[in-house]
Amino acid sequence: MSFDIALIIDSIPKMLMGIGLTFQLLFLSLALGTALGVMLLILRISGRWYLSWPTMIYIYIFRGTPILVQIFIIYYGLPQLEFVRDGIFWPILREPFGCAIVALTLNTGAYLSEIFRGGVLGVDRGLKEAGSALGLSVTDRFIYITAPIAIRLCLPAYSNDVVSLMKSTALASTITLLDMMGIARTIVAETYAPYEVFISVMVIYLIITWAIQRTFGWIEKRMSRHVRQ
Amino acid sequence: MEAITGWWDDFFWGSLVVVELFFVALFLTILFGLIGAGSKLSGNKTAKAIANGYTIIFRGTPEILVLLLFYFGSAITMTAIAQIFDPTIKFVDIPPFWAGSLAIALIIGSYATETFRGAFLGVDPGQIEASRALGVSNLQTFIYVRIPAMWRLALPPFGNHMLSLIKDTALVAIIGLEETLFVAEQAIGTTGKPFTMYILVGAIYLGFSTIITLSVMRLEKYANKHLEVTR
Amino acid sequence: MKKLLTLSIAAVAVVVTGFVQPAAAETLRVGMECTYAPFNFRNADGDLDGYDVDVARAVGGLIGADLEFVCQKWDGMIPALLANKFDIVVASMSITDKRLEKMDFSDTYRISVGRLVGKKNAGWKLFDSADKPIPANFKGLKVGLERATTYSDWFENELPGAEVVLYDSNEALYLDLVNGRTDMIMTNPMKAHLRFLSKEDGAGFEFVSPQVDERKYFGIGVGIGLRQGNDALKARMNKALKTLTDDGWLESYALKYFPFAIH
Repeated sequence: MSFDIALIIDSIPKMLMGIGLTFQLLFLSLALGTALGVMLLILRISGRWYLSWPTMIYIYIFRGTPILVQIFIIYYGLPQLEFVRDGIFWPILREPFGCAIVALTLNTGAYLSEIFRGGVLGVDRGLKEAGSALGLSVTDRFIYITAPIAIRLCLPAYSNDVVSLMKSTALASTITLLDMMGIARTIVAETYAPYEVFISVMVIYLIITWAIQRTFGWIEKRMSRHVRQ
Repeated sequence: MEAITGWWDDFFWGSLVVVELFFVALFLTILFGLIGAGSKLSGNKTAKAIANGYTIIFRGTPEILVLLLFYFGSAITMTAIAQIFDPTIKFVDIPPFWAGSLAIALIIGSYATETFRGAFLGVDPGQIEASRALGVSNLQTFIYVRIPAMWRLALPPFGNHMLSLIKDTALVAIIGLEETLFVAEQAIGTTGKPFTMYILVGAIYLGFSTIITLSVMRLEKYANKHLEVTR
Repeated sequence: MKKLLTLSIAAVAVVVTGFVQPAAAETLRVGMECTYAPFNFRNADGDLDGYDVDVARAVGGLIGADLEFVCQKWDGMIPALLANKFDIVVASMSITDKRLEKMDFSDTYRISVGRLVGKKNAGWKLFDSADKPIPANFKGLKVGLERATTYSDWFENELPGAEVVLYDSNEALYLDLVNGRTDMIMTNPMKAHLRFLSKEDGAGFEFVSPQVDERKYFGIGVGIGLRQGNDALKARMNKALKTLTDDGWLESYALKYFPFAIH
């Protein structure tokens, strides 16, 4: 078994060129997904059935189907429908980048809303009651009391989701995007050396994962300073 | 919708492949998870290090990459390992079904390691002491006391792992396994209706997820039966 | 506990049955894309069909080997062959020097050319009168290509400045061309004609270039791929191919799909 080190050294710079796209996919879908997650959360815990039921169905569908299938439906499937091609969203859905962002956002939004819900449920009832005893409105209670604590509680799960999201960006390579994974597959297709190339790109992904986990670990520590150990 | 006629049986066979993959990978996942958790909880430094390396690598690498690496790399690794024992062997290969199951099981197994580890730590130490005091051997304690107690705690998060497992099976289409997504691509090749086919695949997986979720709820009820408050 | 035990036994049973191999004289595993109509695809009855499949079956019959078909995505075809996932490739793979460095080929069983397909009446002048491409006229146009094909190779070397979009599968090329995600694609003209231009979704499209058949990129034609060092197998397959050609079988397979012979 020959291990072509020269090939690895040659490929790594090429793959790092894909890192820009990987990060764009990650950060944009994370930002949009977080916003979507908060919106879904509010709908879900609104107490009104006509708001929470559709939300629950949405979450059920997006957590119950593989993300690869979701990506294919959005990129290859939607254009089959006439009204999509003529609709206002077409400029976004025309571009593979747009489709990837849409798919990743919709998917991660569903997961995040459940994570946020878990955080909100974990806030001590006593605190909420104290808030209402002090005369705070429902909205104020949510923003100033529930939210800060809920955020701290769901940080571990949130950081896990960020890592999952990062791993899902690799699927963008299946819809022609040249992120790190896309470039890796192209190199393999040309050099017929899957082992060396895939191991190198794996190392890069591991470094990114490690960086994400360290960052969140640091955030968690800072947010928990007041908690007695 | 008529586009699907003629393809129903192919999707059925594809779904069967998904089911096969699921059970094989599930079995291996539980195996890897238990071994991993056991290693992390043991005092053995090497075992801990290997288990840590295992979870770091498989939780941090994209699933598609693990699958591709296993599909192409498994032959090379297995051949290299086999040649240590018997230099005349030219090629050892893993069929794609096994490459896929193994890859998925290793990935979900790394999450299961953490889940099982947490669950084992949640077992009431009093029960372990009692069992030792009664003279029950370590192995029997493990099988008859630890595992049943741990299983109840592990079930909810493990249910999520099972959902991830079934969804990851969709990725094996990339290594040519003829499960539902791959069938869909072939169907699109002849019918030209991507939306219909992919929605069908989505519905099939949604069906599987529902079955798993309901089964897990059943299992959770069964596992907590002894804790139910009776009137 | 009992449930887990029964489940494990069931799983092991599935495992073991998966390993049982039927006894065969000689089994050749054949790699193909399975989504490349009309050369190798799965028809509505679930059977593999197409020109490549017919050729493979005929060759198998003539050399006395049982065939096992393995579906493989195109961009992994050669790595999979080298990794011993299958023994031969019958997937409309062109014989090129670049590929000959890593693998071997039988004699040709089909010609190999490329052609660009784009919107009707787009008014592009992409090739000059000597059938050479004009790089400047490709500016601003997106070209869809399948990864690891002779077409992507040709583009990379002849038109390095062109905006290229790479796909995992052949089908996706046509889907995205219709959706307007690419302005043109380069692919096999026979397939383009059959699968696309003669059907309703290809109505607004046509060939926008002459045939390109530079030996350097497209080779002398399409052949059966195999690993290097298998000269005995190669000789047997070449003998079989000669029989198929001389006895008119290749022509009959082609006539099933095209109004002309393609070897």
